[in-house]
Order: sequence, then C-alpha cells, then structure tokens
Amino acid sequence: MAGEPSAKKEKKRVPLVEGLFTWPSNQPALIASRCKKCGAVAFPKAAYCPNPDCEKDPQNMEVIQLSRRGKLWSWTIQFYSPPPPFKMEPFKPYAIGMVDLPEGVRVLGMLTTTENIKCDMEVELTVGKLYEDGENEYITWMWKPVEK
Amino acid sequence: MERDVAIIGVGMTPWGRYPDPKQPAAFPDLTMPELAVEALKKAIKDAGISWRQVEAMVSGVYLWVSQQAGIHGTLSGTAIANLMGYTGIPIVSVANACATGQSILREAVLAVASGECDIAVAVAADKSAFGFFRPQSTDGRADIDYMRFVMCGETNPAYWAMECRRRMYEAGTTEEDLALVKVVTSKTAPYNPYARYRRTFTLEEVLKSPMVCDPLRLYEICATSDGAAAVVVAEYEKAKKICKKPVYINAVTVGTPTFGDPTVRLTYLSSNKRSGVPNLSESRNAVRKVYKMAGIGPDKVDVIELPDNSSWHYFAYLDCILNLDPGEPEKMLRKGETDPVSGKIPVCPSAGLGAFGEAVVAQGLAQVCELVWQLRGEAGERQVRKEIKYALAQTYGYAGNNAACILSKGW
Ligand SMILES: [Zn+2]
Repeated sequence: MAGEPSAKKEKKRVPLVEGLFTWPSNQPALIASRCKKCGAVAFPKAAYCPNPDCEKDPQNMEVIQLSRRGKLWSWTIQFYSPPPPFKMEPFKPYAIGMVDLPEGVRVLGMLTTTENIKCDMEVELTVGKLYEDGENEYITWMWKPVEK
Repeated sequence: MERDVAIIGVGMTPWGRYPDPKQPAAFPDLTMPELAVEALKKAIKDAGISWRQVEAMVSGVYLWVSQQAGIHGTLSGTAIANLMGYTGIPIVSVANACATGQSILREAVLAVASGECDIAVAVAADKSAFGFFRPQSTDGRADIDYMRFVMCGETNPAYWAMECRRRMYEAGTTEEDLALVKVVTSKTAPYNPYARYRRTFTLEEVLKSPMVCDPLRLYEICATSDGAAAVVVAEYEKAKKICKKPVYINAVTVGTPTFGDPTVRLTYLSSNKRSGVPNLSESRNAVRKVYKMAGIGPDKVDVIELPDNSSWHYFAYLDCILNLDPGEPEKMLRKGETDPVSGKIPVCPSAGLGAFGEAVVAQGLAQVCELVWQLRGEAGERQVRKEIKYALAQTYGYAGNNAACILSKGW
C-alpha cells in the first residue's frame, strides 16, 4: 500500500489505468473536465457536459486538475478481496471513501489507511500500489488523511 | 393510461442455485431461458390461459451474459420463445439492472394499455454471478465501471456501506438497528416456499456475523441467487372475465436520476452536487410518479415490498417510499410498525431479498408475485393481518435505474 518503501530495486511506478491523474508527479491531481458554461465537472473526463440544460458541444468542456484536498463524505473497509479484474497483491483489507471537492464534485477512491478514519475529515490526494510484476509497480490514486 | 390493465396470473421458481447438487430434484440443471420457461408456464397456468393466447412478451435481459448465457442471455425474449414454441408475437428484451422486473412489467402494461394487444406477459430469469458482482468488460478506456472496479476496489456492499455509514453519522442509526432489520424481515422466511434461506435470525447471530464492508455484516447484506418470475397482464374488462381476482395495476413506472444528485452511483466514479437535489433521486422520481398515477399518497399504502439488498436499503427505501426523514424508519422498525405480518405498514412479507438473495433481473417480478398473493389473500402464514387496499413494490437497479408499481384489488 501507499507509503511503504519499495523493496530492493526501484521499480517503475505506473498508473494501472492511464489518464485519470497527473503522473509522474510529486503532487498528483485527478484529471477531470469542466463545463465552461455551467461549471459542471465530469470525472473521468467526458466529451459532454452532464447538465441537461447545456448544449452537448465538446468545445464547452475544458480539462482541469481537481483540487487535491477535500472532505471525506463517507467510507468503509472492504474485508474480502473483490473478484478479478480487481487485483491487489498481497491482499489486505482496505478502506474506500467518497470525497467532496471544492469543485462541487464527489469522487470515489481508496484510502491509504484503515485506522482512525472519520466522516468529514480532511483528506489529500496521493498514490498507492495495487500490485507489481517484474518491471513495474501498478498504482492508483488514494486519499490520505491530512495530519492535524 | 388509455385502457385499464390488471394482472391475471403470476408464477415464480424457488430462488437458489440451478443446479444445486444437494437438492437435484428441486433445483435441476437449467439454463437461463429454461428457468424462464419454468416461471412462465406457472404464470400462464395461474391465469388459466394458453401460451397461444399470449399476444406480446417482454423479457428481462440476463445481466451476466458474458460469463454464462452469451447471446441467448441478451436476446433472452426470443430464446425463451424458441423453447415455448414460436407464435409470431412481438417480443422485446429489456435490460434495466435490478429494476428490470418492474421495468418489463411496465412495457407489458403499456402494450395492453395502448390497445396493441389484450394479453401480454413479462418474464425474467437470472443466474447471478457468485459472490461480489464485477464489471463485464476488460477495457479501462471504454468502461468507467471497469476503471472504478480496478482502481477503487468498490464492490456493491462497499457502496451500500458508505451510504450506511453516513446515515449512522447523520441520523444516529445504530449497529443494532441494522441487525434488527434482518431479524424482522426473516420472520416470514420459514413460510415462503420460494425463499432460498427459509429460517429466522436472532439479533445476536446477526451481530456476530463477519464484517463484510464495515459497518455492514454478512447477514445484513443479501446473497446472489438464481431464479425466475413471470406476470401475465390483461385489459381490465377482459381480465374480469378470465379470472375471479384480477389485480388492478394503478401505476407502474421507471425512475432515473435528477442532475445534481450527490449520490456516486455504483459503476461510476463521481457525482455533480447541486443544492436542493436529493440523494437516490431515481428512486424518489419513480415513487413520486406512481403516487401521482394512482392518485394517492404514502399514507394510503398498506403493504410494501422494497429492495432490502442490505439493512441500509431497508431504511433508505422507507425514506423514499413513505417520504420520511432518515431516523424515522429506524424508530418505526424498533416499535414493530414495519413487522412483515402484523405491522402498521407491513414491509417485505415475502421475507425480502435477505431471504431470497438477489436474482437481479427477476427480483422486481418476484415482488409483484408476492403482492398479488397478498391482495388475493393467498399468502398463507405470510398473509398480512390488515386489510390491504393499496400495495406498493419498488426495485432499485444500480447505475441509476429504478422501478415501482402500485397494485390493488380489481374485484
Ligand atoms: Zn454545462
């Protein structure tokens, strides 16, 4: 999981699905689209504004990076491994949360810890490992509680 | 609607696993379309008609096609007709996730109400995936559901658990309340021959069951099952001639979300929040519409079948159906007001998804079967004590699908 020092040789850290967050980066941010007319945000990026009153013109959508800090709306701990295509090696129970960001969007993501999590706590975006092979570490975005 | 419509026959198979090596006689090795035929022939027999008299059919699309049923799972309607024997009638196959059952009831009703035909049938069968549901593609670019699953590890119970935790935080729902849902809904389970888990549960037993997705425990979330159900509808005047107890369909509709709903729905990664837009809007939209169609309000509902996929759903759906604030359904449960048989408003006399396990696309029709039996007074030990005027069923499908109906006595 996140924060663990990588064993032996440094492997390349690659997002398991590309294009969802800025990478490589010391301060990764989620990549979204925002409607220039009404401010509606789509994550992941979308060609059209989701507002029913907006024209479905891809020109209206601009690519933005979402705020890296937000408020944890709710969370859970997944105690059993989901089936493939999900892959985490080695599997251990992990937390998932929904985070409210200043852009008016609520975003899903794993948390870096299963300890001391509370609704409405401040969290910050980071990345963490899901699994690795001979060459790469496969990573996703994760929400990390902000130390007070 | 142009013409009034009533239910003249219902039928379902026992919920479980097909095949079940432990019970080969009751649960033989049947494919998805074969399972549908089992339910269909029962519903047709219950209506007292023949297959030749069915003038239109709507079929639920089996959701796990890529794993088991292939093209015959997607084009399920004609696959079923092939087994029944082709009669040349209009047949449509519909996919609306867990809301499929009542979505296809709506299509069958519309076919009759419009005057296209006098007798139509809705049928759905499902052989749901074992364990946690999963994405059905392997493409991280084209399928947001795939992205969500591999990047966030969000299972269905994980989503339910997040909603549940927030409810506990805001409305003070307790762990005991969550366990009590299972205790109360399982009361009628021993008396339902179609239920998969025909037993009751104690509070202690539920609270000791393993945590699956904190705060939801194993006995507080539903399993996945195989099963099939069918409902035959007819034009009301004709229905009265065909059977003694036609069940009148006051309303049936489908709900989808309102833009600005904060809910991050299963299969999605985010939501846009707009002030004043409530959560679970697809469900609220369906319920508002059926009340309007039936010309009644929540105070007139006498019995409810709701989608208790988890203990959280039980409370959240009572919020939606009875227009309550979070916390109020919990109080009703504690006071016994939602007891499945003796409650002020009996909820899930069938024993609900907790006792059935979810056979995704068939579940909505199974609810309708139960309400038809309740209205006709044929539910035996499960029969609710109070006189039923209006019965309401609602099913919740993931990814923004919902369906609801209101039924009453048509005799
Ligand atoms: Zn817009």
